[in-house]
Amino acid sequence: MALTLEDRARVARGLMRYWSRFWTVIAISKAELLAAVGATDDWVEDNAASYNAALPQAARSNLSLGQKTLLLCVVAIARVSISALRQFLGEVD
Amino acid sequence: MASGDTLLIFHPYNNEPPATNYATLDTRNQHPCLDFDAATNESAMFSAIMPQHYAGTTGVTVYLHYAMSSAEADTVDWDVAFELIGDQDLDIDGDSFAAVNSVDDTTVPDTAGLVDIVSVAFTDGADMDSVAVGDSFRLKVTRDAVSDDAAGDAELYKVELRET
Repeated sequence: MALTLEDRARVARGLMRYWSRFWTVIAISKAELLAAVGATDDWVEDNAASYNAALPQAARSNLSLGQKTLLLCVVAIARVSISALRQFLGEVD
Repeated sequence: MASGDTLLIFHPYNNEPPATNYATLDTRNQHPCLDFDAATNESAMFSAIMPQHYAGTTGVTVYLHYAMSSAEADTVDWDVAFELIGDQDLDIDGDSFAAVNSVDDTTVPDTAGLVDIVSVAFTDGADMDSVAVGDSFRLKVTRDAVSDDAAGDAELYKVELRET
């Protein structure tokens, strides 16, 4: 289910605070960032079936929706950096 | 004093934060600063006594030295307000800031960390809550984050009051 508008705003605010903490450049406005969060959420919604189909049979059949979503997020964060993933998971060996 | 002369300078460590929605003390490369959120209007407050050399005729101009944590595009809005404490003028159990004066739609520096200076002018009298020579007062600085569009924190490094 897609995020509510309030939750999309929460994501945008959290991202701004995260990037501010590490002085990461944000070259777009707050409104543009919120639009990007919404577009990303829409994309996840529209492509959920495709992602599910791409998973191996065991994971597709036995992981819950929440676990599959977390799996997607963790892999995506790892593509940002392992350090970022470590902040999320606590430890990445 | 003459127009343009410095009356007071405030540093981040001089901040006397409000109870809620306060700018947060931070450092950037060991420079103390106050972080103003991008989503919520946050404030910093500074108290002082108006110097005896203030002429009390042309008012004051408040200069804000700020940088952006991350934004390298779009605009930032600042509000500034005075509160006279004075000589039996204000029961400090409550706040009594005069209406804000603003500097809005300032395009932020194109490099995060580059310090920009903006100014907000106040005429002498009610505009600055009738703060006169020898009066104690507070100055409130707020980022109007609800209205501006630059993403990420704004960092306040110094505040200067000059004779206008």
